[in-house]
Amino acid sequence: MEKRYDIAIIGSGPAGLSTAINAKVRKKEIILFGSEDISSKIAKAHGINNYLGMYGKSGEEMASAFRHHIDEMEIRITPEKVTNIMPVDDYYAILTKNGMYYEAASVILASGISFGKAIPGEKEFLGKGVSYCATCDAMFYRGKVATVIGYNKSEEEEADFLTQVAEKVYYIPMYTDEVNVNEKVEVIQDKVLEIRGDQKVTELVLRNHVLTTDGVFILRESVAADSLIPGLEIEDNHVKVDRLMKTNLNGCFAAGDIVGKPYQYSKAAGEGNIAALSAVSYLDARRRAVV
Amino acid sequence: MKIVNVDNKNFEQEVLQSTVPVLMDVWAPWCGPCRMLGPLVDQVAEENDNFKVVKVNADEAGDLAQKLNVVSIPALICFKSGAETKRSIGLISKAEILKLVEA
Ligand SMILES: Cc1cc2nc3c(=O)[nH]c(=O)nc-3n(C[C@H](O)[C@H](O)[C@H](O)COP(=O)(O)OP(=O)(O)OC[C@H]3O[C@@H](n4cnc5c(N)ncnc54)[C@H](O)[C@@H]3O)c2cc1C
Repeated sequence: MEKRYDIAIIGSGPAGLSTAINAKVRKKEIILFGSEDISSKIAKAHGINNYLGMYGKSGEEMASAFRHHIDEMEIRITPEKVTNIMPVDDYYAILTKNGMYYEAASVILASGISFGKAIPGEKEFLGKGVSYCATCDAMFYRGKVATVIGYNKSEEEEADFLTQVAEKVYYIPMYTDEVNVNEKVEVIQDKVLEIRGDQKVTELVLRNHVLTTDGVFILRESVAADSLIPGLEIEDNHVKVDRLMKTNLNGCFAAGDIVGKPYQYSKAAGEGNIAALSAVSYLDARRRAVV
Repeated sequence: MKIVNVDNKNFEQEVLQSTVPVLMDVWAPWCGPCRMLGPLVDQVAEENDNFKVVKVNADEAGDLAQKLNVVSIPALICFKSGAETKRSIGLISKAEILKLVEA
C-alpha cells in the first residue's frame, strides 16, 4: 500500500510554508509540493516593508530566511508539480507531472493565484481538440497537425514529444526566454486570439496568422484549482473557504492568494497557520471517531 | 456488474445493442489521470447494476476511439438505446460519474 501522509500541502510560498511549519509543530506527517526556490513571487520582490521582522529586506533575503526556517525544522520540499488531486473515500490521491502518485488524508491548497484567463474557444473545444495533457493525448494526433501553446520553457519537451507522432507541430511560446525545440517543430511568436472550429478544432487564430490545426495543447504553469480537484467550489475566481479555511470538500483546505485578495505575504502566512490547525483538528476528530 | 473490455469487434454488440445504459471509460496505460479515474469507475461498476460499464483501451482499440471522435482521455461516454447521450472529458469525482450516468 502507498504511504498515507496526514497532510499534503500544494505550494511552497508563504501560505504553504506556514502551513508546513504549523503542521510539523503538531507532529503531523506532511508532504510539501512546490519549487526549490520557494516562490517566484518572493524572489522577484525588491524591498519588503510590510512583513513583520523583515524590514527593508529584499525578496531574496526573505526567501533565504524562509529556507533557513524550514531547513532547521527538517521540512523538505518535494519539487514536483501536482497535476491532479482526487477525493477518494476517506483520503486524497495526488498525481504529479512526472507520473508519481501519493496519498494523503487531507490536502491544503496553497498554490497562489492560478486563474489564467481562458482562451476564447478553450472551454467549448475541450475534448474536441483542446487538451491539457500531451502525454495523454499525443496518440490521437498521429499524422495530424498539433499546436502547443507553452506558458513555460519546460513545455518545450512536450512539443518535441509530439513530433514523434504528429505530422506537424507548431509551438507558440507565451514567455520571452529563448526557445530550444527540435527542428521538426515550427516556432511561431505571436499573440493567441481564439480557437475556432465546428464539431472539432480546425484553426487557431493569432494576431498575424491563422493556423490550420487539428488540436491545441494548452500547457500552463499552474493548473486552475477547480481542474486540479474535481468538485471544488469556486467563487469570484478564487477557492471558496470559510474562516477556518475549509473548502466545500471534506478534508480539503486552502490558504494564500488562491482564496482571494488582498495578495499579501502576511495574509498568506496567517491563513496557512489557520489551514494547518484546521487540518489538524479534522484529522484528530476523525481519529477519535474511528477509535 | 462485471466490466467488459470493448474494441471495434464487440462495440456493436456490447454497447449499441445493450438493453441497459452503458458507461464507457476510454483510457490508456500511460495516461496518469486515466489511472486515477479507472479505480473510481471500477467502484461505480461494482456498486451499481442498473447500467453496464465498459472500458476501451485507446492504445489497443485506436480505431474505435477514432470512430467515437475521442481526442482527449480520460473520456467517459454514456450510451442509451444505441446512442451517445453524454460525454465528459478529464478527471471527475465519483459523485460526478454517477450524475453523468443517471442524467
Ligand atoms: C513582484 C512582487 C512583489 C510583491 N511584493 C509584496 C510585498 O512587498 N508585500 C506583500 O505583502 N506582498 C507582496 N507581493 C504579493 C505576494 O507575493 C503574494 O501575496 C504571496 O506570495 C502569496 O503567497 P502564496 O503562498 O499564496 O502563493 P505563492 O507565493 O504564489 O506560492 C505558490 C507556490 O505554489 C507552487 N505551486 C503552484 N502550483 C503548484 C502545483 N500545481 N504543484 C506544486 N506546486 C505548485 C509555486 O511554485 C509556488 O511555490 C508581491 C508580489 C509580487 C509578484
